Amino acid sequence: MSAAKAKMREKKMRNQPASVQYTSSDVESRAENGGEGDDVRVTGGQSDAHPSWKKQQTPPVRHGWVRGHHNGDGGYDTEMPNHITAGAFARARAAEVSAMLKAATELTCSSHVFRALPKHMRRRAMSHNTKRLPRRLRNMANRMREKSLQAGLKKKKELVKSKSRKARRRHGNLLLEFNRRQRKNIWLETHIWHAKRFHMVKKWGYCLGVRPTYKCYRPCYRAMSSHCLLQDLSYYCCIELKGEEDKLLAALTQLTCKEAGPTFAAAMFLSGARQGSVTVYRAGQYPSDPLGPVTFLWRPQTPGLTPRQLWIWAHPALKQDLLPELQSVCQCSEAMAPPVEPEVSRAEADPAPQAEPNPDNELKAGAKRKRCCKDAGEPPAKRILGDGTRLPTSPVTWRSSSTGIVINDLTMEIVRYRLIGPQSHSVLAETLEAATVCDELKSSPFWWPEHCKDRSNMKLHQQQTDVFNVLKGIYSSGELPPGTVLGLTVDDPRLTLPRQKVKAAPCVNQDQVGDEEKRNQLMLKGVPLQCCQSFLWEQSVRENVTDNKISEQEMNRMRSELLVPGSRLGPGPQQGRVPVLLVHQPGKQVGDELGSWGSGWDLLLPKGWGMAFWVPLVYRGVRVAGLHMSLKHSQDKAAPHFPHDYPDCPAGSRFQEEQEAEFLETFRRRPPAKRTNYIKHGCLAPFRCPWQQLAEEWELLATDGGAERKGDGQTQKARKSHEVMEEVTSQQTVAAASPPSFTVLRNRKSLRLLSSWCRPLTCRGQRRGRGAAVALPLSDSAVTSFHAAHKMSVVWVRLTLLSKGKPEAHAMVCAPTAEDLKLFGKSPENCGPQEPPHKDHYKSRINHKKKSSKTATPSQVSDDPTASTDPHSPSDLILGLWPDPLPSVASHCSRVTLGWVTQGDFSLSVGRGEALGFVSVSGLLHTLLRQPPELRGTLLLRNPTSLHYRFVRLNIDV
Amino acid sequence: MVRVKSRYLLCEINVSDRRDLLKLDDRAVAGSVKAAVARTHGDYGAALCSIRFCVKYLNAHTGIVFLRFHKGCYKLLWSALPFITSIECRGQIIPCFLNCLHVGGTIRTCQKFLIRYNTRQLHQMLPKYKNKEEKRKIQEAILSCSLTGGGNKALEDELESEEEDDE
Repeated sequence: MSAAKAKMREKKMRNQPASVQYTSSDVESRAENGGEGDDVRVTGGQSDAHPSWKKQQTPPVRHGWVRGHHNGDGGYDTEMPNHITAGAFARARAAEVSAMLKAATELTCSSHVFRALPKHMRRRAMSHNTKRLPRRLRNMANRMREKSLQAGLKKKKELVKSKSRKARRRHGNLLLEFNRRQRKNIWLETHIWHAKRFHMVKKWGYCLGVRPTYKCYRPCYRAMSSHCLLQDLSYYCCIELKGEEDKLLAALTQLTCKEAGPTFAAAMFLSGARQGSVTVYRAGQYPSDPLGPVTFLWRPQTPGLTPRQLWIWAHPALKQDLLPELQSVCQCSEAMAPPVEPEVSRAEADPAPQAEPNPDNELKAGAKRKRCCKDAGEPPAKRILGDGTRLPTSPVTWRSSSTGIVINDLTMEIVRYRLIGPQSHSVLAETLEAATVCDELKSSPFWWPEHCKDRSNMKLHQQQTDVFNVLKGIYSSGELPPGTVLGLTVDDPRLTLPRQKVKAAPCVNQDQVGDEEKRNQLMLKGVPLQCCQSFLWEQSVRENVTDNKISEQEMNRMRSELLVPGSRLGPGPQQGRVPVLLVHQPGKQVGDELGSWGSGWDLLLPKGWGMAFWVPLVYRGVRVAGLHMSLKHSQDKAAPHFPHDYPDCPAGSRFQEEQEAEFLETFRRRPPAKRTNYIKHGCLAPFRCPWQQLAEEWELLATDGGAERKGDGQTQKARKSHEVMEEVTSQQTVAAASPPSFTVLRNRKSLRLLSSWCRPLTCRGQRRGRGAAVALPLSDSAVTSFHAAHKMSVVWVRLTLLSKGKPEAHAMVCAPTAEDLKLFGKSPENCGPQEPPHKDHYKSRINHKKKSSKTATPSQVSDDPTASTDPHSPSDLILGLWPDPLPSVASHCSRVTLGWVTQGDFSLSVGRGEALGFVSVSGLLHTLLRQPPELRGTLLLRNPTSLHYRFVRLNIDV
Repeated sequence: MVRVKSRYLLCEINVSDRRDLLKLDDRAVAGSVKAAVARTHGDYGAALCSIRFCVKYLNAHTGIVFLRFHKGCYKLLWSALPFITSIECRGQIIPCFLNCLHVGGTIRTCQKFLIRYNTRQLHQMLPKYKNKEEKRKIQEAILSCSLTGGGNKALEDELESEEEDDE
């Protein structure tokens, strides 16, 4: 019986008399002790009846009338007289009568007074008008009515009386509300647009769209691979460094290493013609302690200016680690108070509710209010523009006295849109139009007319316009050299907004000889260096542009005042000219197939202009995607995605923890009987990847196994390794020494070597691919030297499934045994081996715990390897999950585990399941040595929820 | 109203030795009733007796027992009650017989009847006793068998308890 039901029943039965009888022991004891026992056992289910009986008794009698009987009669003895005593007889009757009286007369009903009334006396609306009740019941009814009213009031009190919807939706109030909601998490400029169409999440201190509410997985993929996909990446943080070139480089080289690819100092990037990307490490710590990947852009050198300017774009999860590191290497400890002007504007922007509670302002007409705001030097909309969560007084600039480097935090100062897809340049070409020159001679507050007066500026602008026009003619965005930068000044794109959505198409029809020449030049050499200059780098220009943006309302007013309705607005002097930077985004650069897939352009704008460019872009038929698609984009590019696939970075490990907690939460939400039992599947860590443990185990395995390389087969080795691991784990638990943490292999030379080793030999004994010339043959000595250099490393790999199957995250990458390979060699269509189901030894413990509080006896779990060493208390066991600490992760299953998958899905671009993940370098070398050369690089993959191994081909893309 | 209808028999258990009365319990009574029905009416009776039959109340001091039968077959079952001559309880056989005092449609009518019956008995007893001491006791008993304060007070108690529940 449920608790509520029992309660109801108790309430109902509390006046009913219970049976009066003695238990057998009572009777016996009574017989033995001569009536000393005076206990009454009340049966019949309602112990509550007992006290209600007591009330009827005289105070000194404690245990009901039985006791009284007993006292009055001198005890129920064996010598009780055979005759009837009047007193006892009468008392017994009297007690019964009173019990029955109580039962019969009192209300047993649960709630209502009215049920006490016979049917014929019931009246309509009695509960509302108590005067319809007989007088004797009125008091009661009144009390109950009051009580119910109070209960209703209590609920109503909690609701705060809010303004009417009309009032709430009024423009000013709406803005105040928006500003209030922006204080915790930063909103991008396109937030409202996104919030209407996307599922939003709060992540990294921002409100970001994850995926649209409509179904668009495949359309988004199609857009990426054949047209254009748009993303708002303004949440990426920009950090500006200013200073002498050599000093900047000296500081920054501590963070990077040449071995891992071109650094900040590479000539191509240093000129400012290309955008570079690099993985940043803690100062001087390479190859351990990485922070994460950043992209960077040098400002091209201008003849007059010696200090160089550098923008470093970092993911917000990385910024909190990167900024202190940059400050320390640049010795920038002096925080500069933010300049007065922005402070004022921010103060007005952020606590707008306090700034404008003036009722006069509210009463004025909208346009007027706007105008007076403009006089104050603020754009009318107070929704701004930059970081609303930061305190106005917190510093954004740090300066070093010794080196003269200035670090400037430009978070949310620059809007960044990413266009992915081969047609993104045509979308840009259709949306943007190079700024028209205006030759007014009188001075104006706008920046453009001032610039127009300078002849050199105009020349530069002409060059940039030419390049931009040539850009329209190219076939695909992927044809350009990766990372090309083009500076440009454009007209307000709202002026050329089409009336209906159109799909931007490439314009390849007007072919002229000169254009052809120019196009080839552009495709081979990229944009000429002088054209990479942009006024977006100048803070004063950025501020001027942001402040002088014409509001949407003003724009519409001007449109309505046009002579010919529906015609386009001409670019007048007061219309803004916006300096932008177009940065080419390279597509897939690694691997052999699908070269430059997913390339595109990044559009960098000054803040405040986000929506002005967003809507025209959307009107050119692009798809808009959220975080989900950017993950898929990098997955199809086979590139690691920042917080997900950087387990060695602090942000990556934080992300892993969050992800594990999230997965565990969803797992625990299911009823235990419906959960996957991961223990039975032999999956030790279904929600995370214990990289550190894997690397340590493989290091030990490799060093121990080095002596016995001649081992016959994998199975033996696996068994042996299992034993070794037993010792190892026990040793480790005893010693508790902290071994060096694992690293991700990023050394390009080593990667190239490893990559060539992983390729299978063709029948002619030749290696395919690019690395053929440089590669050392795979031999014991080469492996030993390689292994010595990268003991604790894991390496980023791409795994392509050879048959069907869809890999999932945290799937295990395993080494096939010799028999598996033999089978595979016979028929490549073979599905792959099966893992024998494991036994869940913890299940019995959990059951034991449920049944009784005593723990399981050791005999029941003796065959469990870990049980003897670490007895887990059953309380922290979750059915279906291994408790910490894990046993040997490498040799837990019948096939040795080499690593795990971090992202896996059916890849639409390949048409097959593809997985990305890390494998241990030692484990990989170990496996490769034992594989026949024509099947080298064939591994097994098993999902955490399945027992089925699938064959995969391993690729290390460099 | 639509409900499952039953008949409640208010019976008095008469024993030769009063001390045996204390040894009774409801399970034993139910068992003996079932046995008697099976003996007199066979399997059919036993089956009828298994439908909704139960002992609702037993007072081991006064020997009052409430039996509930299904309304459709209570006459048949009732007819078996005179054949109960003993109740086996805790290994002892208590010779007794059941005397049916009242048949009611609800347990409430039986309770009301029992009140009336007991008070009448007490009132009848009162003039018969000459012993002063005993007479005083009976008078006390008669006085005690009424609810003090009336129904309102009880209701108030109920309300208070409800309020406590809420908190």
